[in-house]
Amino acid sequence: MAELDFERSLERLFAEAPYFSDGEAFAQKVEGRLDRGWNMRRWLIGCAGVVGGVVGVSQLVMSNVVHRVETVSAGSSRVLKAGIAQVRPSFDLLSLVQSDWAVVWVASALAVVAMGFVLTRVIEEI
Amino acid sequence: MTGSQHRFASLHDVELATLAATGERRAFGELVRRHGSAVRGLLRRMGAAPAEADDTAQDAFLAAFEGIAEYRGEGAFQGWVKRIAARQYLRRLQRERRLADLAVAAEEGEPDVSDPDTAGRIDLDGALKALTAPERLCVSMCYGAGLSHAEAAEALNLPLGTVKSHVKRGLEKLRARLAPPDGALEGRQGNG
Repeated sequence: MAELDFERSLERLFAEAPYFSDGEAFAQKVEGRLDRGWNMRRWLIGCAGVVGGVVGVSQLVMSNVVHRVETVSAGSSRVLKAGIAQVRPSFDLLSLVQSDWAVVWVASALAVVAMGFVLTRVIEEI
Repeated sequence: MTGSQHRFASLHDVELATLAATGERRAFGELVRRHGSAVRGLLRRMGAAPAEADDTAQDAFLAAFEGIAEYRGEGAFQGWVKRIAARQYLRRLQRERRLADLAVAAEEGEPDVSDPDTAGRIDLDGALKALTAPERLCVSMCYGAGLSHAEAAEALNLPLGTVKSHVKRGLEKLRARLAPPDGALEGRQGNG
């Protein structure tokens, strides 16, 4: 029993923190190191994003993707127009945007991105 | 005290840890202010030199910030970060190949056996100087960092029986220096 009491007393003695006059300076050093690590991480992520963006754009340009999208858009436009003409021959809404179907594809892509953002926010809220 | 420090000063450790888990570094800074001395003190009691103890304590707090999501408030934050610090110190000793030397220095070390505090003050830090390095390490890990004998043995890479022996011998020496003749350790103040 005496042994147990002594061990408990020893634990209490260990729990008493000694006083350090430079406690505030120590805390500031730790905060400084945290800030440096955080800033470095942000820079790394930013640089990786920029490099990734540059590589992605260069790949798009190199693969002549704009021309391909235009070709696909033109084909899709014909199919859509034919389909709509069969359903409602008098409906000519598509003529409003027929000058450039790439706009429709870009808008669709933006809508998908927007949906992605919304979903991310919803998941975060949950 | 800055505005953010004042705001965080009234929060509980668990609330601060929750904020820190969201990336709030100033909240974690408040935890460092509260528990920095305890962690630095533990490392010195384990046998680290002051500069080494402070470096290790800084590393321990950074590691704690990285793993703050693992702290779920089930125990005291101080105990959690002390265990991290104790393990960090052992890793440092291992990295510098000092742990093995320390472990075999059990009987060779010449501890400081100067007179106990004649004023009767309970001086844990002074009493710990009477222990050999492994005894001091084992006692501090078990009674200061709250590790079990088995956890200490695993962390030190020593047989369980060896750790128990170090702890037993260390406790005997501490008892001889700390426990007053009437056996009443309670109610005494301060440990330096």
